Amino acid sequence: MDTLVSRYSRPAFVDREYTAEDQEDAYQATPSLSLQFALPPVSQASSWLRAMTDDHSNPSCPIKIAHGTTTLAFRFQGGIIVATDSRATAGNWIASQTVKKVIEINSCLLGTMAGGAADCQYWLAYLGMQCRLHELRHKRRITVAAASKILANLVYAYKGMGLSMGTMCAGVTPQEGPALYYIDSDGTRLSGNLFCVGSGQTFAYGVLDAEYRYDLTEQEALELGSRSILAATHRDAFSGGFINLYHVKEDGWVKHGFNDTNPIFWKTKLEKGEFSNVTAELD
Amino acid sequence: MEVLLGITGKDFTIMASSKAAMRGATILKATDDKTRELNKQTLMAFSGEAGDTVQFAEYIQANIQLYSMRNDTHLGPPAVASFVRGELARSLRSRRPYTVNLLLGGFDSITEKPSLYWIDYLASCVPLPYAAHGYAQYYCLSILDKHHHPDIDLETGMKILRMCTDELRRRLPVDFKGIAVKIITRDGIREEEYTDDHVVRSA
Amino acid sequence: MAFAAPDHGPGYSFTSPTTASAPKQHGFYPYTDNGGSILGISGADFTILAGDTRSTSGYNINSRMAPKLFRIGGEGPDATGARIILGVVGFGADGAALKERLDTIVKIYRYEHGKDMSVKACAQRLSHLLYGKRFFPYYTHAILGGIDEEGKGALYSYDPVGSYEREQCRAGGAAASLIMPFLDNQVNFKNQYVPGSGEGHDLKAREVVPLSRNYVMELVEDAFTSAVERHIEVGDGLQVLVVTENGIEERISPLKQD
Repeated sequence: MDTLVSRYSRPAFVDREYTAEDQEDAYQATPSLSLQFALPPVSQASSWLRAMTDDHSNPSCPIKIAHGTTTLAFRFQGGIIVATDSRATAGNWIASQTVKKVIEINSCLLGTMAGGAADCQYWLAYLGMQCRLHELRHKRRITVAAASKILANLVYAYKGMGLSMGTMCAGVTPQEGPALYYIDSDGTRLSGNLFCVGSGQTFAYGVLDAEYRYDLTEQEALELGSRSILAATHRDAFSGGFINLYHVKEDGWVKHGFNDTNPIFWKTKLEKGEFSNVTAELD
Repeated sequence: MEVLLGITGKDFTIMASSKAAMRGATILKATDDKTRELNKQTLMAFSGEAGDTVQFAEYIQANIQLYSMRNDTHLGPPAVASFVRGELARSLRSRRPYTVNLLLGGFDSITEKPSLYWIDYLASCVPLPYAAHGYAQYYCLSILDKHHHPDIDLETGMKILRMCTDELRRRLPVDFKGIAVKIITRDGIREEEYTDDHVVRSA
Repeated sequence: MAFAAPDHGPGYSFTSPTTASAPKQHGFYPYTDNGGSILGISGADFTILAGDTRSTSGYNINSRMAPKLFRIGGEGPDATGARIILGVVGFGADGAALKERLDTIVKIYRYEHGKDMSVKACAQRLSHLLYGKRFFPYYTHAILGGIDEEGKGALYSYDPVGSYEREQCRAGGAAASLIMPFLDNQVNFKNQYVPGSGEGHDLKAREVVPLSRNYVMELVEDAFTSAVERHIEVGDGLQVLVVTENGIEERISPLKQD
């Protein structure tokens, strides 16, 4: 009898042990940009996630994910200008003023970051990995068209799950010349000469569209990119911090500084007489 | 506020689609092409949910091309329409359906007749002499009802198209950045120059 | 088993939607905010992480001695010889799970590679750990500290789904909005100008210099004693971990108990 009992009874809490899979997961020491994501045990994972994290539709949501941005990029005769602000907000809280929203995918490819900070950071890193693998497999650098399509197809696979990103891929390749693509988390992918993305996009468009020409000189282009971001940081509360400026040329991108908006604003106002709605004196 | 229009005539099909790519309050691109060539004599124009549109169109395009490669023959417009409708119907019953509206224009080289299919995201599929999707339906169908005949020539077709786009420019609240026009005849698909810069007078 | 957020107080620290048009409530609610605050400051050759030791649930104090700072890696359960520290606030259980996972990974890295993981690598791994739960997030705000490959103090901060950034200083948790502005001013000298360097817009910004360890300790204590005065979820004890090239030093001192 005892042998029978011991054979068919199991020690208490045996079910609560970690499964082999859990252990495997915990011990897996090699970091991988794997595509295995934990899902909540509910039937509608996406609406559950929205209730927890989307502060737009639910301002009292418990988990605030960093959002809000102005980014722009445009093609001109001398290559591509990429400019961004550097503010990250979580609800009304300014989570950071020093975010690097231009992501250096490789020496010739840049990505920009608008929407969920983690989404952009993670998937552009993933894109960087795919681009490097393409290089190793095919012995040549990936085109911007192909790189942007990897990203577009990737985010499209997650459509409706709650990813939030509006990104631009800018790069120069021998096949395409300077190329610029817009990709967002609903799966849209567009090529173009000029894009502004983020909560401050309309303000940036206002300044940029008015003075944009394809035959801008390098100096004019850099100045225009910077000024457009400044305009957005001034009018959009979710944008601010520093202006991050890049220039993509045939032989790779060049960084043109990460400068505080405040002194730039006052310099622009006092030296050029712009922003006349702001009074320096308190009468 | 995307515009898709299709008009058939004696020996041609005209396909017109608006050139604006809109997201929220912003026009992101003013030279967008909302069509894909499926084979030499069928063209698909699409509108609907961002992302779904291009993904579905390119999926169909690839499969139609694959069919041509494997079987060394082209599918005619009715067969293509059946296939597209079937894929859309299958998708409709899946976990995440494609939300895409389509116009399928073609020229049937067997019957030597132009063809046009109106397909919506619920996988309804109707062969029609002229068709539209979106707000364009409300303005253009009455115009087409009045002026269209099955045996019109291309010149007349383009004239009717002009009446349609003028009305859209007059009454649609949003600038759709003009239309791109493609024409399908027995010789294949060609893009037609379509200037849209004249003044449209309102009453 | 469903975890529902109570819809009448005193309950958890979230304000639950009261309007009729509130978004659809879901029965599955696996989170609680256990309050508390942490902060981190990195210096020339050290990184300090500090956190209070109170654990709350709504208006109840569950524990007066629940540390939020952990040693990561090293040997054995005490993490002997570790050079990386982690601070987590938010939902205690998620914090504990996160710490446990990261610790295991760093320990196995050492076992497999015969060397310690760099903070840079550990920081990226933590980001991926958090992002792995992008669709079922850890309800945590994490800060990671250590010494980088050049021997300088390194500090990384994270959002709940893994976006991260290396910074000089960062406050997280319930009193982040009280402490962070203080740190901006006292560590990064934000809005500080050199007296007599000009008038109005000509004023020169005060140059940022690395702070000494003793001075940073004073800042940390000031930050927490002030936060305790103005935030109900902060108090009881102050745990401070300092990483230097020589290892981790820990100090626990009392804060106000009310």
